[in-house]
Amino acid sequence: MIRLTIDGQEISVPEGMMIADAAARLGIEVPVYCYHEALGPLGACRMCLVQVEKMPKLATACTTAVAEGMVVHTQGAAVDKGRKGVLEFLLINHPLDCPVCDKGGECFLQDYTFRYGPPAGRFEEPKIQKVKDGPINEFVLIDQERCVLCQRCVRFMEEYVGEPQLLLEGRGVETVVSTVEHRPAQSQFAGNVVDLCPVGALLATPYHHKARPWNIERQESVCPLCPVGCTTLNTGRDGRIVRVEGRPVLDRNWGWLCDRGRFGFDFAVSPDRLTVSRLQGHDEAAARATRQVGQWLEQVVGQYGPDSVAFVIGGLHTSEEAHQLYRFATEVVGTSRLAMSRQVQGYLPRGLNGTFEDIAAADAVVLVGTDPYEAVPVVHLKLRERWRQQRDLKLFGVAPRTLGRETLPVDTLITHVGHEAHVLAQALARVVPDHPAVAQLAIQGDSGFDDAATLAQLGQALVNSEHLTLLWDGVEPEVESVLIALATVRGAKVTRVLPTWGPSNWRGLERGGFPARLEALTQILKDARDGKVQMLVLWGADLLREYPDAQLVQEVYQTVPYIIGEGLFLPLGSESMRAFLPEASPGEMAGTYINMEARVQTLTPSVQPPGQARPTRSYLNAWAHSLKKSFVAEDDWDPFDDESGDLLPVEAIPATIAPLSPVSQPSGEMELATGVLVMENGIPSELLRSRKPQALARLSPVDAQRLGLSAQGMVRVARNGEELRVAVTVDQAMTPGRIYIPLGVPSCPVNKIGTGVVEVARLEEVHSA
Amino acid sequence: MLDGIKAIAKGMGTTFKALGEPRDTYPYPEKRREYSPRFRGKHMLAKDEEGHELCVGCGLCEAVCPAHAIRVVAAEAPGDKPVSWTNRYSVDYEVDLIRCIFCGMCEEACPTNAVRLTPFNELAAYDRETMIADKDELLRPAIRK
Ligand code: SF4
Ligand code: SF4
Ligand code: SF4
Ligand code: SF4
Ligand code: FES
Repeated sequence: MIRLTIDGQEISVPEGMMIADAAARLGIEVPVYCYHEALGPLGACRMCLVQVEKMPKLATACTTAVAEGMVVHTQGAAVDKGRKGVLEFLLINHPLDCPVCDKGGECFLQDYTFRYGPPAGRFEEPKIQKVKDGPINEFVLIDQERCVLCQRCVRFMEEYVGEPQLLLEGRGVETVVSTVEHRPAQSQFAGNVVDLCPVGALLATPYHHKARPWNIERQESVCPLCPVGCTTLNTGRDGRIVRVEGRPVLDRNWGWLCDRGRFGFDFAVSPDRLTVSRLQGHDEAAARATRQVGQWLEQVVGQYGPDSVAFVIGGLHTSEEAHQLYRFATEVVGTSRLAMSRQVQGYLPRGLNGTFEDIAAADAVVLVGTDPYEAVPVVHLKLRERWRQQRDLKLFGVAPRTLGRETLPVDTLITHVGHEAHVLAQALARVVPDHPAVAQLAIQGDSGFDDAATLAQLGQALVNSEHLTLLWDGVEPEVESVLIALATVRGAKVTRVLPTWGPSNWRGLERGGFPARLEALTQILKDARDGKVQMLVLWGADLLREYPDAQLVQEVYQTVPYIIGEGLFLPLGSESMRAFLPEASPGEMAGTYINMEARVQTLTPSVQPPGQARPTRSYLNAWAHSLKKSFVAEDDWDPFDDESGDLLPVEAIPATIAPLSPVSQPSGEMELATGVLVMENGIPSELLRSRKPQALARLSPVDAQRLGLSAQGMVRVARNGEELRVAVTVDQAMTPGRIYIPLGVPSCPVNKIGTGVVEVARLEEVHSA
Repeated sequence: MLDGIKAIAKGMGTTFKALGEPRDTYPYPEKRREYSPRFRGKHMLAKDEEGHELCVGCGLCEAVCPAHAIRVVAAEAPGDKPVSWTNRYSVDYEVDLIRCIFCGMCEEACPTNAVRLTPFNELAAYDRETMIADKDELLRPAIRK
């Protein structure tokens, strides 16, 4: 630790820290443009000048590392003069069009000029004219005249993300920020440059000319679109969310978002969103629909008893809503049939759940089935940050297709579909064959994976790394068993897993009282098919889109007399529903979300729910009234724990290791692999239309050629009499013999086929005349 | 008795004297008072010589208004400058004349000299809604008769 004095206050900071960061820790603001802690020092803008005693000239606080006994002054005549000069220079060619600039009112150039700048400039020549409002891509505009050339945007894309799509062009005063070969910047993370740009040079197109800091409601919230749960600031104006920005949390995250989260906020105002209650297939007044459902509930409970009602939660609900529904179901109705709808079967015990700090400290990372760039994008950035710090970080993948990319190279062990658990176990057995935990896995069969050297490498990383972090997509449920065995084998060495599946708040729904294991839902559906359930309440759950066995759901929908739906969008099979009630979305109410780290994060609403949409408690209070029971949904429950704070309480790792089912090597037919991807997760967005892939299915070049498909085409995928017609694209990351289709897209419910061996045939393209 | 007559005569004297004096009041609405051009009455939104709206929807008037009487909704101006002189304009601009305290701060804050307070002060209506001046109304400032 280094001790130094800044403006008369003493502080000890780690060696190598820059003066600017040390000052920030004391709450002293040093104005900066080019410096960002995540990007490292550059020293391009000179805005951060401070006076350091015994230094002959002013020093840049962002490039000068702290030294023992240093005395720094961030105020004073010399510093003021330096800042004035720098600002006068920056403003020489600045257009000063604040009245039409989107950053007006929240611009660091305005703020610093107001605070430190000269009252007027002396430069009288005409200002240089450059491109105004030119597109960087569909979502980001650049006004080159306003740029202060801090290079944050360029460095972020080039160094941090590793996708060099922005660059500086020209020389001297003619220098501008532009895109490579003037092609749109297609990175998933390009939107972050809007937050990074300290001035109004990079602007979000959807927010262009929309609002000002004083006529908006800007609230801290969490992105609900994937389980990363990135912290956001949501901007509401006139009842609509118009902007989502990243929100840095000190010492935890930098506030990056992916474009899915940054520009996908418009699902709440999607034309498909239902904002009126539906009763027997017709629009109905909210009060009448709620009352009618209450009457049905009363009849069903009266006639068939409380256990004839089942509650299935899912979707975007908050933890509080889950808890309220749980209390209503158990206390008011008195049923024990509760379940949660998820897209994948895997479950991760809390005891194994890691946090993002486990990525920052990992020396080996294993991706099981999941490609973070597509599934949990901001985790890709976290992994890359770790990989940049430690280039010998071991990164393995175990999946039916190649994981990783140039910016994050991963050694993938390509397995057959459904064999991830087996291959992981094989790798484990290669290093510690005699360990009792490995014996309990009872590895049997031939996975067809016999590359001994690679298996041994993976095994070494699994067993011998000091800090092992795994990411798991949950598609292959038996991986849970291997993970428990792995943790047992590793003993005291840290083994942590991050689950990358949805719904984004599944841990919160679990914390609220709903069982997260899919067996609970399967049991309810089987009972319902057998006529034991009279009323099925689907709270945000879209079973036909989510549940792995669509056949069973179909039967249930035909059997159960009262199916009550609730959600943002009409689910598949809504014809079978007696009533469908519109729900309030996460940006429209207060509550908490629990992300893949098992961390509780709060949402603050910035708009009101539209139309008849309302939070869960409104319905529950009304129904309790129909049942003549007293019930107050608003209790003082919250998911925070007294001891573990914003993380869920730690639990022991389960001791029992279930044996794996034997595998056999498939006979070389095509296999269908699935997974949850963030762009294709079924939550609509008009804004992101151009980013959503046209073709959902992916095939290897070899298979595409074999099937006679050109770059794109349609195929028919079939198994057990179920079939799907889907557009395919050729993907280099695919392995011959596998076809990949993401889960959860309403137009392509691949869950009705299920993973495994399928028939794939080319469909003749139909040319419309 | 005599005192009474005296008092009446004095009173009537004052009355007749006042009858001949110039009046302090106006027979409104037949005759109206002249105001200084700086008088702060109802707002207007100005246009330039080519008929482009000056307001760029920056929202500064909204921010500065102590009575929160102004609402501005900005947007990208239609291309080829049919309405605005630049690429941004206000699609919606409202002044709530009941809230407004006619302080003139908006006028002072406006970077384009678009919003101006005119001497028009005949603000009366049967309901509150009519007292909210929208953009169309403000672009065609009322003239005092
Ligand atoms: S970047 Fe800042 S200073 Fe420049 S025009 Fe925009 S608001 Fe004004
Ligand atoms: S566009 Fe913004 S972030 Fe990029 S160099 Fe210019 S001022 Fe910096
Ligand atoms: S990574 Fe996930 S949580 Fe973060 S912004 Fe993207 S979609 Fe939202
Ligand atoms: S009237 Fe003037 S201050 Fe008000 S929004 Fe328009 S340009 Fe800005
Ligand atoms: S912030 Fe220090 S030189 Fe730019």
